[in-house]
Amino acid sequence: MTNRPTNQLIDLLSSNVKPVAPLPPPLARAGVTLAAMALLGGLAFVLLHESNPLQSRGPGGEGLVGFEMLAMLATGILAVTGAFFLAIPGRSRYWLGASLVPFAAWLLLSGAGCYRDLVRTGPAGWQLGHSMDCMIFIVGASLLLGAPLLWRLSRATPIDPLPVAALGGLGTAALAAFLLQFFHPFAVTFIDLAGHIAAIIIVVGLTALLKRPMLRPA
Amino acid sequence: MGGGDDRWEELLSAAQAGDAAAYRDFLTNVTPFVRALARRRLRAEDAIEDVVQDVLLTVHRVRHTYEPGRPVAPWLAAIVARRSIDSLRKRGRGAAREIHDPIAYETFAEPDANKAEGYDYAKQLAKMMGELSPRQKEALELVKLKEMSLIEASAVSGQTVASLKVNIHRAIKRMRLAANRNGVE
Repeated sequence: MTNRPTNQLIDLLSSNVKPVAPLPPPLARAGVTLAAMALLGGLAFVLLHESNPLQSRGPGGEGLVGFEMLAMLATGILAVTGAFFLAIPGRSRYWLGASLVPFAAWLLLSGAGCYRDLVRTGPAGWQLGHSMDCMIFIVGASLLLGAPLLWRLSRATPIDPLPVAALGGLGTAALAAFLLQFFHPFAVTFIDLAGHIAAIIIVVGLTALLKRPMLRPA
Repeated sequence: MGGGDDRWEELLSAAQAGDAAAYRDFLTNVTPFVRALARRRLRAEDAIEDVVQDVLLTVHRVRHTYEPGRPVAPWLAAIVARRSIDSLRKRGRGAAREIHDPIAYETFAEPDANKAEGYDYAKQLAKMMGELSPRQKEALELVKLKEMSLIEASAVSGQTVASLKVNIHRAIKRMRLAANRNGVE
């Protein structure tokens, strides 16, 4: 890398040291970011919401939809919080897996809901719902929520940007999918679910691709 | 993990406040620890020293991510692990693509022909550098005159590597125009 002896480098760095403000703890930073996202989502809900999401799967489906939405929210919160922890060197790598448990629960519950509708309504459970609209909503809302999130994560100049970007992407996609439920007055079919998963893959792929310009890693 | 972790915490916290002496002590004290960790992952001595320097530069860039009161050793060990992996990857890629040619540095067979011309351009150079913006001048001085690597210059100046490259490019372009204007070859 350089022909400079290490002690000369130490002299150079120490003679150029400037005061820096330590970053607040990652939990606090994640809390502030999630609160701002909640405010934005709340505003969109108040101004635009169309339906009661719990009724989207018809009578008796409220519990299932409730747990499904809880799993989405938990995925979003844990993934965003995990991204803030992983941006700091030496913090637990368990954060990488923390959001995967509710994510798996979300997919399983959505799958169970789709199966329930398929049994109840027959072939209508396979029909194409509003998959493309849902995909566009999830990707669009993720970009809106994700840009400030990545900017805040970039303050830590993460030394390993890929897991930080991927968790940030998963978190925003999960929160966007949670928000989508309030604008989704119909049951998700298997095809719609595939659309949701495709949207999540697009968002995570985009954030992973943009990790260097967006996160400015050290 | 690190023997002097309590002391390291104090020194790094003081360095965050801008204390140059504490920062020098911190970097000097942690270097053997960094070297020992790098040695666990790498074999070649030059590769280990490269990683040590890369870690020190990274510490300089991310020192704001250390949370006062927390142990320094895990924070530092994570940086060493990351930079060691980067080094292994870089060397793997380099070994696959590059060949070593020890005489490639010679431009002419006649040794005297490789010596710099004896003209003194210092005055004209100083004048041309005076026309550069402060960031262009800083980039040119650190990378071209002080012969720092882009990463070192980035750590010292606070400019990103990309910004340094752009500023050097613009500075050279501007100086070339000035040289043409003044008839300097």
